[in-house]
Amino acid sequence: MEFVVTTVEETYKIGELIGALVNSGDIICLIGDLGTGKTHLTKGIAKGLGIEDHVTSPTFTIVNEYKGRLTLYHFDVYRVNDPEEIAAIGFDEYIFSDAVSIIEWANYIEDLIPLNNLTINIEKLPEYGDNYRKITIQYSDKRYDYIKELKQ
Amino acid sequence: MKVLSLDTATASATCAILDDNSVLGEITFNYKKQHSLILMPIIDELFNNVGMSINDIDGFVASKGPGSFTGLRIGLSTIKGLSQGMSKPFVTVSTLDSLAYNLAYTDGIICPILDALRDNVYTALYNFNNNELNRISEYVNISIDELIEILKEKNCSITFVGDGVPKFKDKLIADLPEASFAPMHLNLAKASSLGELGLNLLSKGITDNLYSSVPIYLRLPQAEREYADKIRKMKNE
Repeated sequence: MEFVVTTVEETYKIGELIGALVNSGDIICLIGDLGTGKTHLTKGIAKGLGIEDHVTSPTFTIVNEYKGRLTLYHFDVYRVNDPEEIAAIGFDEYIFSDAVSIIEWANYIEDLIPLNNLTINIEKLPEYGDNYRKITIQYSDKRYDYIKELKQ
Repeated sequence: MKVLSLDTATASATCAILDDNSVLGEITFNYKKQHSLILMPIIDELFNNVGMSINDIDGFVASKGPGSFTGLRIGLSTIKGLSQGMSKPFVTVSTLDSLAYNLAYTDGIICPILDALRDNVYTALYNFNNNELNRISEYVNISIDELIEILKEKNCSITFVGDGVPKFKDKLIADLPEASFAPMHLNLAKASSLGELGLNLLSKGITDNLYSSVPIYLRLPQAEREYADKIRKMKNE
């Protein structure tokens, strides 16, 4: 599924819609260059989960935890040199828990990501304009079929 | 000698106070992992209800794993803090040892299994000879299939215990029809069992060093991880 957005607010809104639909144990991988809006999308998902806390990028803390309708673990693995570093913080215990996990830069730790994930790619579309983004959502496990509701 | 024992290696958050002759009290919650929230309150509750204070404790026992990374760090750092603060010794014991000890006097092989996620288990093999618990393998993190292959070669009765049992029981029954399983009330880590093993060590003067004692996390060896990755990628294609 693809969306083209032109404002941060639209990115946030898509996140919010996803956040309202996610289920316990979902694993969401966010992939996209710096400045494409991964953290804005995450803020939207957090809002959709009913999280009132201010969501900030865990670039240095690796993972932040929030309580909403479900617990949210927000990872940013941009600064990780070796997937081993993430494994060593007990990554499996986070992602195989009852919480929802969002992993920014999940492509950096591909080997640790289970196959039953929801992958969201955000790309810039410079040929259309500086603020254009293409958001592509992919999954193979039917647990994420709720994504189809986004189109309505 | 009186000891305070803690085990937070698994979903079970458990603490106990023991002396040389008996378990004076034990509190165990085996409900979600909320160790960081409940550990201090249950220790406090335990002291209040046995009419003792931390000053009465002569030594401390903590689980050294394997198990939950976060859980192990909560338990060991708590015990290290208490040990250093009270200037009393501590010792670590494996949760696998304590689970096997739950099944003292069982014939054949005792096989504790803890869920290590991704279809792996933390395990070791034990037997009970001459009134002693003997570990007859290394502590390992292996796939449940690999464990089953190893056990098929053993020509004796096998009893499983541990929090991996509910998850893998159907598979184990299918592949090892003769196997037995611990009853539910012995299937969880208990600080009393860990504490008794620890008390035996402490009374022999065996202690851990505050600065060098670390949990056994038991990550899969790099080579095996790479092999597993390769298999995963092949399945992906």
